Amino acid sequence: MTRLVCPFCGARELVEFEFHQTLPEPQAGAYARVYERVDHGQDSIEHWQHLGGCRAWLRVRRNPWTGDVRAVALEGSGT
Amino acid sequence: MNDHAARRGSRLAPGTLRFAFDGRTYIARAGDTAASALLANGVRALGRSVKYRRIRGLMAAGPEEPNALLTVGTGAAIIPNVAAPQLVLREGLVLASQNRWPTLRYDLASLLQAGGGFFGAGFQYKTFMWPSWKTYEWMIRTLAGLGAAPGACDLPPVAIEHISCDVLIGGAGPAGLTAALAAARAGARVVICEREPVCGGELEFESATIDGTAAADWLETTQSELLARDVRVLRQTTVVGGSDGLLIAHSEPDGLPGANAVYRIRPKAFVMANGSVEHPIAFIDNDLPGVMLLGAAERYLARFGVRVGSELVLFANHDRVYAAAARFLAAGVRVRAIIDSRDERAIDAATAGTGRARTELVRAGVVCLPGHAVIAAHGGRGRVRAALVAPLAAPHATRSLACDALLVSGGWTAAVHAGMQDGGVPAVAGSSDAAAAPDRPAWRQLAGASNDALELGAVLAQGHRAGERAARLAGAGAEAGPVPRGQGDPAPRLVPFWRSPAARGAEKRQFVDLQNDVTVADLRQALDEGFLDIEHVKRYTTLGVGTEQGRTGSLLGAAIVAEIQGLAVSDVGTSRLRPPYHPVTLRSLAGRRVGPALRVTRRTPLHEWHAAHGGQLESTGLWLRPRYYTANGADAFTAGIAEAARVRTRGGITDASTLGKIEVAGPDAAAFLDRMYLTRASTIKPGRSKYMVNLREDGMVLDDGIVLRLEEQRFLATTSSAHAQHMLSHFEHYRDTEWAHRKVTVSDVTEAWAVIVAAGPGSRDTLGRLLGAEWRGSLERLNHMEFAHRHWRERDLRVLRASFSGELAFELHCRPASALPLWEALIESGMAPYGLEALDILRVEKGYLGSFEMNGQTTADDLGLSGHVKAGHRCVGSELLDRPAFHEPTRPRLVGLKAADGRARFLPGAQLTTPDDPVHACGFVTSAVYSPALGEWIGLALAARTLAADGTLLVARDPLRARDTAVRIVPPVHFDPGAERLKA
Repeated sequence: MTRLVCPFCGARELVEFEFHQTLPEPQAGAYARVYERVDHGQDSIEHWQHLGGCRAWLRVRRNPWTGDVRAVALEGSGT
Repeated sequence: MNDHAARRGSRLAPGTLRFAFDGRTYIARAGDTAASALLANGVRALGRSVKYRRIRGLMAAGPEEPNALLTVGTGAAIIPNVAAPQLVLREGLVLASQNRWPTLRYDLASLLQAGGGFFGAGFQYKTFMWPSWKTYEWMIRTLAGLGAAPGACDLPPVAIEHISCDVLIGGAGPAGLTAALAAARAGARVVICEREPVCGGELEFESATIDGTAAADWLETTQSELLARDVRVLRQTTVVGGSDGLLIAHSEPDGLPGANAVYRIRPKAFVMANGSVEHPIAFIDNDLPGVMLLGAAERYLARFGVRVGSELVLFANHDRVYAAAARFLAAGVRVRAIIDSRDERAIDAATAGTGRARTELVRAGVVCLPGHAVIAAHGGRGRVRAALVAPLAAPHATRSLACDALLVSGGWTAAVHAGMQDGGVPAVAGSSDAAAAPDRPAWRQLAGASNDALELGAVLAQGHRAGERAARLAGAGAEAGPVPRGQGDPAPRLVPFWRSPAARGAEKRQFVDLQNDVTVADLRQALDEGFLDIEHVKRYTTLGVGTEQGRTGSLLGAAIVAEIQGLAVSDVGTSRLRPPYHPVTLRSLAGRRVGPALRVTRRTPLHEWHAAHGGQLESTGLWLRPRYYTANGADAFTAGIAEAARVRTRGGITDASTLGKIEVAGPDAAAFLDRMYLTRASTIKPGRSKYMVNLREDGMVLDDGIVLRLEEQRFLATTSSAHAQHMLSHFEHYRDTEWAHRKVTVSDVTEAWAVIVAAGPGSRDTLGRLLGAEWRGSLERLNHMEFAHRHWRERDLRVLRASFSGELAFELHCRPASALPLWEALIESGMAPYGLEALDILRVEKGYLGSFEMNGQTTADDLGLSGHVKAGHRCVGSELLDRPAFHEPTRPRLVGLKAADGRARFLPGAQLTTPDDPVHACGFVTSAVYSPALGEWIGLALAARTLAADGTLLVARDPLRARDTAVRIVPPVHFDPGAERLKA
């Protein structure tokens, strides 16, 4: 999809967001957290920042093959 | 042949105009395209082919035209490669043919034709090598390519429009219009993109009735109803590509760049009704002018009233050819013969309609030859004059049929590009062997010929169903109306026939892709040399590249490759479709974002002053900053030295407003900053600041800066200008993840504070006089790294005693509104400005780190910041600091450099080698400046630890600038190593 729904700003074009990284395994050691990425199967869980808007960090669950966005949540909201 | 005034049967408005082609003037009707006008004037030769330079004429009536690409205009602002069928003429237009020299008729390079075998497929990989390719460069440059590139462009920028609608329909033929009608009646907001200036598709020439009325009337009433229902019809607009729910459409009115527009369309549902593209059959010399596609000739007759010939021979493998022949006869054109590759039994099994049509044609004197093929086209003086035909059962029993136009149709390829670009190779399926799209998401549907439906009744039904479904998907639920019933040309009942029989030696004159001169022999050669995959065949032979993108040649080539290998076409497949579907200029894609509008420009509050006083402004990142001031020297080198020298002797001011500034506040702010930096911020007392370094997650140094403790729970972290954006995102990331439930706020205040640095021996006295009574005494009491916050002229002012130049210096943080008054007051007090060039000289003299040293590949130890690494302190990046790789003896170390002879020059980027091993680098020069304080060139470098003892002699090698300098390693602090000036 070429749009992401920011929890604060609503549906915005993808160019307003910047991809940071796919999430590492949180319990992993420092090396794994920096260099290794987890294969979540169908979906990729990623960090994006809404740079062109409210600058919130978002946790996005996305299918990297089709680009379908399944869920967008504010980082730190406990999901 | 064609009387301009009459043009019986055309749909053009009255009125004539004049245009020029290859130096001669012709008359055309208003609304003519270059193609129709040249045909009407009897001009057959419109260019030469790219490789063999064979004379070529028109083949098609749309953008799939492979041959007739013309250059429009004269002088520097020419426009090359304009497809003649798309170019609508206007008064005085000057056109020229391409790929020929000196003239179209007498072309020198066509002598290369004699070496036809030499230029087989992939010749460019095997030739032009001895003695060196440069020997042939001039020839390749002259001969290669389509047309000549323009030298100037004076066209206006292109507007980009964003459209959000319920249903987007690609194509306004019968399927598209029916879909639009159904969707609009159901209540959806509909947008249609139609590539031609008129709607109708095949209905332009097909003999059809819809709902009892003639097709032309149905078109008119349908378009009126669509208009009444606010359906937006974008004419001369093609959907060129898209993905992920967004489609890009490009509009090029009249076929010429000029009034282009680009549409970014986001529909809730997309119906692809783009029709199909006819492709030819390959036979010997099928590229002669006068050999055209059947549907193209019909279109030239129906829309423009132009007869492509007076005596036609038709060659096809389906029933439509009989309907077409009947139409030509009715228009008064003599049809000599119809060559049908299908044998008698295949035709007799057809509907009664075709049988009847055939009988009438025979009665009108048309020779109908089933089971025959055109073996070769014979020509003379650059045009076809006869067709050599033979029965397929006995290909040598040829006979010649005189004609002046040979119309060919081998079937159709569904035009599915716009839907296929985000993945998937179209599967080849169906009895007509036409390409069809595989599974697609629900929001995208095919209808009509794009969906392999070629009979009008099915086309209309599919269109209606697709439109209705699209409207439902978009949430429009009203009644979509009845399905129109139509009767058009009979179903084609096509039997695949791709190429006529020919001897091996003659295969190199059977053309498959006319634009790239790809012949059957080339395909066979590619297979012989092992390029079996269709993608390899495409790249090796250049089949399907160019402006035409394989519209007429791709499927034909794939089918012939399949035949040669004995495979089914569906097993071979066609090559992957890529955007754009239609040539789009880069100018169109850029829109208005050209020149200064390409990126945001950031200006400091003092920008106007710099510009007005000789400051040479340069882009650093997005900021404009002065590199030097012209009053101090004619170029950066001399001015920089003069400015730096003056700072050390008297003093100077510089605009440092671009520094990143982040305010971190809250009860957990101190703990937060402790985690972000190598050393602790919590130990800073309010009113003091500290130089701090932070790391990336992988342990490399990220940035450095000064952190001020404004209050117990408020800090101001400054960053380098280059890393400001990154550092802000870095802090925000941790605030939102690990620190989400703690009490800390992170705010970007970079643009809330302007920063002026006053540096030099006289800076304190000057400031003391300037700042007035409120500051009396405070400035003298300020120690290094302390700051005070008071006012100047009733506005906030914070003065921090810190230095990036090694001199006694004060950073003045003020509100942007008071920056200019403060700066001007300083100027009046006798302080002179210095720019980035001088800033760099001063910091290299002191060995301070810049972005070339903190390049993301160096650790704290490398840069001499080991003092900042405290055992037991956990912060971002600290966990990976103990990696063995970070403690290798070959890791670089920051060192200073001086020329061995005290005079020579060396430049940043030079590689360092030891005198006895000139090949392997052991480091490189990161910064190098001419130091006025020391009178020689000095630098900073990263050199391998094992070799980096002070006094070591190395060589700085700079092969790019042809300069090798002997250098000596010295401590990085070149000037005032005891920091006496700082403590003044």
